[in-house]
Amino acid sequence: MPAPKIDRALVTHVAKLACLSLADSEVDRFAAELGRIMAHVEHLNALDTSDVPPTAHVQIDHAPRRADELAPCLARSEVLSQAPQVEADGFAVPAFVE
Amino acid sequence: MMTADHEMSAVDVAARVQRGEVTAEHVAASALARIAALDSQLNAFSYVADDALGQARAIDAKRARGERLGPLAGVPVAIKDAICVRGVPSTAASKILGGYRPPYDATVIARLRAADAVLIGKTNMDEFAMGSSTENSAFGPTRNPWDTTRTPGGSSGGSAAAVAARLTACALGSDTGGSIRQPASFTGTVGIKPTYGRVPRYGLIAFASSLDQIGPFATDVRAAARLLTVIAGHDPLDSTSLDVPGDDFESACGRSIRGLRIGLPEEYFAPGLDPEVAASVRAAVSELAAQGCVVKTVKLPHTDYAVATYYVIATAEASSNLARFDGVRYGLRTFGDPTRKDARRDLLAMYGATRDTGFGAEVKRRILLGTFVLSSGYYDAYYLKAQRARTLIRRDFERAFHDVDVICAPASPTPAFRLGEKNDDPLAMYLNDVFTLPASLAGIPAMSVPCAPSAGGLPIGLQVMARPLDEATMLAVAASWEARSPARGRLPAIAVGAG
Repeated sequence: MPAPKIDRALVTHVAKLACLSLADSEVDRFAAELGRIMAHVEHLNALDTSDVPPTAHVQIDHAPRRADELAPCLARSEVLSQAPQVEADGFAVPAFVE
Repeated sequence: MMTADHEMSAVDVAARVQRGEVTAEHVAASALARIAALDSQLNAFSYVADDALGQARAIDAKRARGERLGPLAGVPVAIKDAICVRGVPSTAASKILGGYRPPYDATVIARLRAADAVLIGKTNMDEFAMGSSTENSAFGPTRNPWDTTRTPGGSSGGSAAAVAARLTACALGSDTGGSIRQPASFTGTVGIKPTYGRVPRYGLIAFASSLDQIGPFATDVRAAARLLTVIAGHDPLDSTSLDVPGDDFESACGRSIRGLRIGLPEEYFAPGLDPEVAASVRAAVSELAAQGCVVKTVKLPHTDYAVATYYVIATAEASSNLARFDGVRYGLRTFGDPTRKDARRDLLAMYGATRDTGFGAEVKRRILLGTFVLSSGYYDAYYLKAQRARTLIRRDFERAFHDVDVICAPASPTPAFRLGEKNDDPLAMYLNDVFTLPASLAGIPAMSVPCAPSAGGLPIGLQVMARPLDEATMLAVAASWEARSPARGRLPAIAVGAG
């Protein structure tokens, strides 16, 4: 696949996916910087990896499993103590269903 | 003359507190006094514990009751701000976690408490551990105790600077792509990145989960090994934590290195490496050969691809991990400027404004990069490609470790660079991590131990890497070198005479 051009439209699209409301000046700056970084990443295309399996995680096959048992967790009041807004014993968010 | 409190290794502090020759309260008071006197020049601490003396008195009371004290009795330990401490600000140096006081301790913190350490404070860092200079911080930059116009490295720069200036005997950091080893190298301290899975990550604010690992900083190899022994071991709260027998890392420091095979990777001695750094590392390895080690050249042919591989994988994981900062459960919540004519107060406006206001530029850059490489149409070309390249980098090490027991290399291409020097060029900052990223991608243990001073008096670090779970051999080599290093006993001027 040819390298995509990192322009304002692409940065705006990706920012929307990432839930970042960027200022106009940020969009221009990130387009230029990400373009330079992705040009470096293109070096990976020099590698023939057709027969190479991906590594998602090192040593995950050795990770032990634990029994699925109930155990005490933090009290609700402790968990809610750090929330920006609490209502009705829960995290309060703006209405998103009419 | 008696050694001043602050010049003692954590091992000696613990022994003296255990024997009752000094109280934990005296040690803590002395550390607090040094922080008060010196940290305005360094900005290593983001928070100093207001209960440090209380913690210390509780340890003294325990001893007075005749109870046996733990291996870190009364030892002040500074904690990177990315590690959660119950009731204490833990913000990963980000505005988005401003005011956050976790309702729980990270597993490593619970283990430090059980070992009778004193949690002396939180240390400055690059926001969410994203950086190599501790300049990307909501608290402002940390300065290098050896030259305050220079960076202490990053992202665990506060922990490294605090130990280098002897504000604390030891510290915890975290290493995702070199964030313990590079600052240890820049500050003349000992820093260990353990094998991935050796130390539990529960309570570490996540950056890149397949790479993040907590590790110790100390003034000497033995003290770092003791801290590692305390924090290592299986934790049911971290599904990637390995259930392997603990090692006595401290006794490994006294092991003979005669007959060990040391690999020198030719790819690490390439153009771009400061000739003085190259000469120091080669001199150290020659000295180890004189001690009975066998030195061999090894090939790690995919080293050149590590930066690209890392910055795809780490940013992809970061973009996913940092999705949790949405203004709902903790930290900042904002809807943006209410006077703007497009101002809204709905959920998406809250997400967008909270994240745009709360995250700094480097974090946004990496979230964008990570979101891009995972996005529809690009996943195979970038993310999957980088995961395949990661396999090649792992295989390089597997092959090399058929022939050698440890690999010695520089930790960083240069000594500490100046504050501001690489700020305008993110790619130049990333390329500086070239010697620490491969071990992170392979998940192997690696550490930096002081190698030699540069002509200008700045520390240079020797990186020692070993097979997975073979921290013991790595520590034996590092301790043997430390005993002969021309850097031994050197302190930055700021640490001498004060306090």
